[in-house]
Amino acid sequence: MPQLDPAVFLPQIFWLFVIFGLIYLFIAHSAAPKITQVLERRQARISSDLEEASSLQAEAEAARVSHEKALEEARIKATSTITAKREAIKSDVEAEYAQLTEKLGTELAAAEVKISAAKDKALDEIRVMSADICKEIIQSVSGLDLDKKIVAERVSAKFEAVKDNANG
Amino acid sequence: MASPLAQFEIKTLIPLQVAGYDISFTNSALFMAITVAAIMFFMIVGMRKGALVPGRWQLSVEMCYEFIANMLHDTAGRDARKYFPFIFTLFMFILFANLIGMTPYFGFTFTSHIAVTFAMASFVFIGVTMIGLAKHGFKFFKLFVPTGAPLALMPLLVVIELVSYLSRPISLSVRLFANMVAGHTMLKVFGGFVVALGALGVVPFAFIVALTGLELLVACLQAYVFAILTCMYLNDALHLH
Repeated sequence: MPQLDPAVFLPQIFWLFVIFGLIYLFIAHSAAPKITQVLERRQARISSDLEEASSLQAEAEAARVSHEKALEEARIKATSTITAKREAIKSDVEAEYAQLTEKLGTELAAAEVKISAAKDKALDEIRVMSADICKEIIQSVSGLDLDKKIVAERVSAKFEAVKDNANG
Repeated sequence: MASPLAQFEIKTLIPLQVAGYDISFTNSALFMAITVAAIMFFMIVGMRKGALVPGRWQLSVEMCYEFIANMLHDTAGRDARKYFPFIFTLFMFILFANLIGMTPYFGFTFTSHIAVTFAMASFVFIGVTMIGLAKHGFKFFKLFVPTGAPLALMPLLVVIELVSYLSRPISLSVRLFANMVAGHTMLKVFGGFVVALGALGVVPFAFIVALTGLELLVACLQAYVFAILTCMYLNDALHLH
């Protein structure tokens, strides 16, 4: 076995240490730090991207919440506006209704007064006419020329009694 | 037909003597240089862009890095982080050496030399022991005293622990060396059969194809085993038991 020849030991060990030392220096001072740097940069990039993504997500969530809030506020405002308007219209209508009712009431009362005045006047005229007619009838039937005044009194008394009867 | 072991012969390429010591540049040293050049090429070209989104090549480099980084972290904990460059270098060096050694015909596997593997294992062993001593001082020797064992058995157990500790560099180096020698010898032996059997040589040839796949696996596996055992020894030194 050529491996067991002591003559080959020293040259191999010498060159092993020289060449291994060389590659060790290369890896320790150039290759490994470079790889480390690349890996760290990638890790930093990944985590910063993830952070950015999560902050954007939070922003979007906040925007959604504020949008919903604005929507809710608008809805409340609209409802209150509608209610206020409805109240206003209702009170307007009521006021107008009351006014109208009052106006109609006064007109009605005036009309009633007018009517009762007309009625009284008509009754008076009827009374006067009745007295005249009664006097004429009595004169033509009995030939008595009664005093116009007495006839009128009697008719008037009879009238009151009839009127009381009718009213009572 | 050459001996199956002829592939392990050391050939001096540039004779060199310093103070009476032979430090000739041999085919073994040449392949160490090729291995190092290949690692440098692999890493420099792979990481030349240092892209945020890696390409295939860059990803391979990063995967090697993360594989060893995770292994070191899992076996030896966080305070072993500063030994990462050494473990990483060790793994890449053995991995590339084993894989380049698989090159048919002119490939030479210097990890099939006990001198090389033993030198690496001893370096790891001595280094780890020194780290342990520097960190824990005299308490480091608690490593040889199993906790909870009956006192009467203690002398025996300490001897066993000591022997098992001292045999670490041997097992570490022989494992890699023997795997490499066995695989390459087997490939060579069956390669000889291909020629010797003529038309029937397809059978050993097919076997060689399968065996080459297996050897590629062994090449990666042994690099991994060497690295993870180093991590475990490091863990023992850093945290005792």
